[in-house]
Formats: sequence, structure tokens, C-alpha cells
Amino acid sequence: MPGPISSVTDSLKTGNRVVTGGIAAIVLILFGAALFLFLNLPDANAFNTRVERIFVENDDLRTGAEIKLLEILAQSGTSFSEVLTSYRSVIFVLLVLSTALLVAALVFLVMIIALNKRIGAIQRSGIQVSSLMISREGRAVYINDLEFQLTEAALETMAVLAEARMDDDVLTGAQIEAVISGRNEADCDEAAGATRVKRLRDTLGNQLVSELLVKTIARRGYVLAVDKDAIRMI
Amino acid sequence: MTKVIAATLVALALAGPANAECYADYKAKKDDPLQLHYGVAQVSDGNCSKKAAAGELAPRLAADGWTLLNILSTFGPEGLAERKASAGAYFLRY
Repeated sequence: MPGPISSVTDSLKTGNRVVTGGIAAIVLILFGAALFLFLNLPDANAFNTRVERIFVENDDLRTGAEIKLLEILAQSGTSFSEVLTSYRSVIFVLLVLSTALLVAALVFLVMIIALNKRIGAIQRSGIQVSSLMISREGRAVYINDLEFQLTEAALETMAVLAEARMDDDVLTGAQIEAVISGRNEADCDEAAGATRVKRLRDTLGNQLVSELLVKTIARRGYVLAVDKDAIRMI
Repeated sequence: MTKVIAATLVALALAGPANAECYADYKAKKDDPLQLHYGVAQVSDGNCSKKAAAGELAPRLAADGWTLLNILSTFGPEGLAERKASAGAYFLRY
């Protein structure tokens, strides 16, 4: 079913674009915020220059005791600037953390949207075969972990079709008959192969429908395996 | 020979009275950690203006790691006494 699959990849593409754009935007905004913050934090020497200015502007401040006091003021300011640098590193770590969290949140958001679309597409596309296992010994085919018993002939047809599919081949009825019977293709009848395919469809189709659609409940009867809300009569 | 001695004597005699002894009081600082001091220093007569005194004092202070902040005033010997207590260890040190 090419339609829904292409739409899913399209949505994935737009999702990727949103993710890259969003990550770039987040990183840019937080980087700008960090830059703004770091540039506006007071410099370690801001206090010293302030004290120095007070010293220069006031000619009366010239005795030893007064000058000592100014120096002590400047030193306490410098010790505060050490606290500031530690704040700076804390702010930096927090900004990095928030960037990572925002990026993760964006990625998850886009992932959820993409998954929702995909699940919707899968739900509409009907039976999606995600695994097909052919067991010759058990004479059974496992489709999505559902077991279907087949006759020897039907299993042979199934195996031939599966091998052809793995080689990306399309087989005609005559070719199928030729492979299974071991005769030359020219000697085989198209109708014989068509009959084999029809028998395979009959046995497998019957079991598939009874498993997925019309279920048999032992000693009680039959019921449609369909959600109530999904049924509409026109 | 006597002429040379006489000439130097004359020169010294001329220089003597012209040397009116100019002093300047200044403020200086050192960074990391911030240190400040107020001091008094002698400057040569030709540099008795504030600007010239700063030009002369700055390199002298810089040799010891101090940065000259400003010159408060320049004065003669009569102003030394009142500033001696404030300048303390930096009285005529540089």
C-alpha cells in the first residue's frame, strides 16, 4: 500500500525539519540568554574600581586608618566576586541542563506526533504483515505470530511465493507449477498454477478471516472481531 | 682650572636659590589585592605643576608596582609638616 507509507515518510521528513529547526532555535535562544547573563554579571573588579573612585574623588581620605578601611572594603568585595564566579558556573550548568531538557522535550514531542500519524495509518491500512514465518516441519505459516495450519500443497505454494518475493520476482501460474512439480516450464499449464494459488488463498483466507474478523467462540457461536464504534450501516 | 671651578661654583650658586624645593602629595594603588596609599614625594622644580609632577612621579611609583591615581597638590617645604602624619610610611619615600 504505497499511499499511507509515503505520507508517513513525508510526515517524518517534516518532523525532522521541525526537530532541527527547533533544536537550532532552542540552542540559539539559550546561548543568547547565557551571553546576555554573563556579560551583565558584575566583573570581579567592579568593587575595586568603585572603592578606587571613592579614594580618588575624596581628597580628605588620606589618613592611614581611612585608607586601611577602604582596602578592607575592597577585599570584602573581591571575596564576593569569588561567590559570583561560582554563581556563574552554576548558571552555566543550569542553562546547559535546560537546553538538553528542551531539546529532549522537542524530540519526544515530534516523535509522538510522528508515531500517532503512523499508528493512524496502520489502523486504516488493515492487516499489516510485519512478520511471515513458514514452518515446514509444523506445516504452518506464522503471520504476525498468528499460526495458520496449511496443507502440504498449500505450504509448497506459499514457500515458492515467499522465495520469489525475497528475490523480488513475480511468478506466472506456469512458473509456480514448474517449480513445484519439477517439470519444464513449457510443459506446465497456467491453470494448474492458478489452481494452486486459489487453494492457498482458500485455506489461508478462511483461517485469516476467522482469526481476525469472524471469530468462533467455543460452544457459544460466532462474533465479529470489530470494535462496536467502527461499524456503520449505509 | 680655576676658571672651571669658578664656573661650577657659579652654576651651583645659581642653582641653589632657584631650587625652591617642590613637593607633591599623591594617591596611588596596587591591584590584586587592591592596596591604596597616600604619600608625599619631592619633585624637581621644573615639574612643579600638577601635570608635570604626575609625569615625573608615575614612573618612580611604577618601578615599585604602584599605579599613580592622581596628584592632589604641589607645595613648598612649608606644607610638609601638616602632611607628614597622613602620609605615614609613604612620607618622602618615593
